[in-house]
Amino acid sequence: MSSTSDARFFFTYLFRELQRRRRQALLTALGLAAGAGLVLTVTAASAGVQDAQATVLHSLYGVGTDVTVTQAPPPSNPGSLPTAGGQSSSKFVFSPGKSPQHVDQLGETDGLGALPASSVAAIARLPGVKDVAGGITALDTKLTIPALSQLGQNGAPPGGLPQGTTCTVDGVDLAHLGLGPFGSAALSAGRSFRDADANANVAVIDSGYATAGKLTVGSTVTIAHIAFTVVGVVDQPQGAGAADVYLPLARAQALAATPHVPSSVGKVDVIYVVAASGAAVPMVRQEIARLLPGATVTTASSLASDVTGSLASAASLISDLGRWLAGAVLVAAFVIAGLLSAAAVTRRVREIGTLKAFGWRTRRIVAQIMGESAVIGIIGAALGTAVGFAGAALIQALAPGLAATVSSNPGSAPAENVSLNATGEHTSIAQGAQHTVPVHLSAPVSAETIGLAVLLALLGAVIAGSFGAWRAARLRPAQAMASVA
Amino acid sequence: MYTLTDISKTYRKGQHRVTALDGLNLSIAAGEWLAIQGRTGSGKTTLLQLLGALDHPSSGVINFDGRDLARLTEADLVDVRASSIGFVFQTFNLIPTLSARENVEVALIPQGLSAAQRRTRVAEALASVGLADRASHLPAELSGGQQQRVGIARALVKAPSVLLADEPTGNLDVDTRDEIMALLEALWRDRGLTLVLVTHDTAIARRAQRVATMDDGHLSVAPGERPQPGHATGGRSQPGQQ
Repeated sequence: MSSTSDARFFFTYLFRELQRRRRQALLTALGLAAGAGLVLTVTAASAGVQDAQATVLHSLYGVGTDVTVTQAPPPSNPGSLPTAGGQSSSKFVFSPGKSPQHVDQLGETDGLGALPASSVAAIARLPGVKDVAGGITALDTKLTIPALSQLGQNGAPPGGLPQGTTCTVDGVDLAHLGLGPFGSAALSAGRSFRDADANANVAVIDSGYATAGKLTVGSTVTIAHIAFTVVGVVDQPQGAGAADVYLPLARAQALAATPHVPSSVGKVDVIYVVAASGAAVPMVRQEIARLLPGATVTTASSLASDVTGSLASAASLISDLGRWLAGAVLVAAFVIAGLLSAAAVTRRVREIGTLKAFGWRTRRIVAQIMGESAVIGIIGAALGTAVGFAGAALIQALAPGLAATVSSNPGSAPAENVSLNATGEHTSIAQGAQHTVPVHLSAPVSAETIGLAVLLALLGAVIAGSFGAWRAARLRPAQAMASVA
Repeated sequence: MYTLTDISKTYRKGQHRVTALDGLNLSIAAGEWLAIQGRTGSGKTTLLQLLGALDHPSSGVINFDGRDLARLTEADLVDVRASSIGFVFQTFNLIPTLSARENVEVALIPQGLSAAQRRTRVAEALASVGLADRASHLPAELSGGQQQRVGIARALVKAPSVLLADEPTGNLDVDTRDEIMALLEALWRDRGLTLVLVTHDTAIARRAQRVATMDDGHLSVAPGERPQPGHATGGRSQPGQQ
């Protein structure tokens, strides 16, 4: 039959027609390309922001962690130690005595409440959960409380309030070393934890902390008056989740004390969860929230609302301006393409009338016009993809470094900054501990994003072609002779 | 071939109704050459459009080989146009981006022929109008007379029974006009075509077997210089026939 020769004629006619009005075709394709390219760029930037938010989450909780579970503590009691740099607080009651007191205590951090260790096992049984680990994040504070005789009339020492030294301590679940902040650490000296270390006084320390304290493998660090042997030194990605000292979870539980839980044995304050897949994260979050009604369940997406700083500004800019701009350009491109297509048909009234006079069916003529639009759409999609890639590359190359400021334990109660007075009572409540994580905004272009851009360009072409096709379908064959009435 | 009975065609033009054809009756025999004359706006092109199944009349019957074109659906009219009627236009109406060969091929698209059949018939049609050596030329590369020859080849390539020509020499100089008319006359004679030709040129109209004159939607028919076919039923204006 004639299908091959029909197709040959179809494409010959199509490409010759596009060649005849190539400027208009190119203009239409460029319009579609601009719209599709902008959508691609904005979508890529948006994906970059999401990646950045995930980076922030991972910097806090370790790579691979999809969900973290924390719980706010009950209202605090008076009598807390001062904090270093406003980073966190340890709370316990004290009283100045006749002689100076040397305090070394491991306490809770920034308002994290204790969760029963059984929660870890319960979460592990939930559908969609791949792996779970519990942890303790604590603060070791070393401080010398002056004797009563050393205090002035205002109740404070003449030289000012005593400044303690602190280090952050994480209790690590040795059965799940890959989860939590320790999972992001890279061993630079010594060894990591072993199963046999569960109840041993051994520690792995951060390289920065090691340098500052001139510590090496074999040195000892004192936590809550207990000497721990340093068995390893780790480098950690720059971020908020890095602890100074890592201890086996059981040892940290034994040492940590809180105003509410004198012994932390059998308790954790952070649970790290890995979902079976990215798609399962929302379900896992929901299930955990149902299991632990009082807990704060955090995911990368929920963390986004807690992030402030320039990353949040970038996210807002992309969400508000970027999407509107891309949408507006896309709609404008669709409308202009549609008008140009209809105008092209108007200029071809006699030609189309002649085709109808020679027995061409309307559907064949509509197919011819839609084919022309489809080719323009394909060109627009190709150009749009290139424009989108260029836009994404520009963002990656030119975007300034961003910073994400986030609570180190999002969703938990604000930590208390306390200062010491003569009666040993806390005097103020300050902001919770916050960390700023430097983030480089990337703009990853995924296959789905390219597919979306191509689809939009083709959709625009189809809509534009429909204008022209509708106009052509309505033309009467008598138009072939219309000018010679 | 054609029997038109009480044909009227009215158009809406703004708020007014314009009567292009008013109770027109006409018979055209198979193989006849009928010329149609008339002032601009007298309705001759409208009549040609109805004969060519390009439009429906507002009322009346157009019997074409036993079928009433006034009652046919648009799809049926497309079939009639595709198989039985060829058109030649004053402005040639060639597609500027297609070569002479491809322009002629346009008329074969609805026929569903094989590529080989198309090639053969297009080559024959172009040869019959003396343009075998111009087959790959674009319209812009051809003279006016050559373009009209391509138009005639396009009209005849599907071997229609009727050729409707709307001022086919209107855009040509005198020499080319005579050349085209000689070609049309030869094709009419050799192929037994029914030729209906609209023209302002009285000299051309006289070469037909009959000359129909349109005036304000009404038709009067007179004999041309050429002898009328013995079986023609249109002939001179009959009583009741315009």
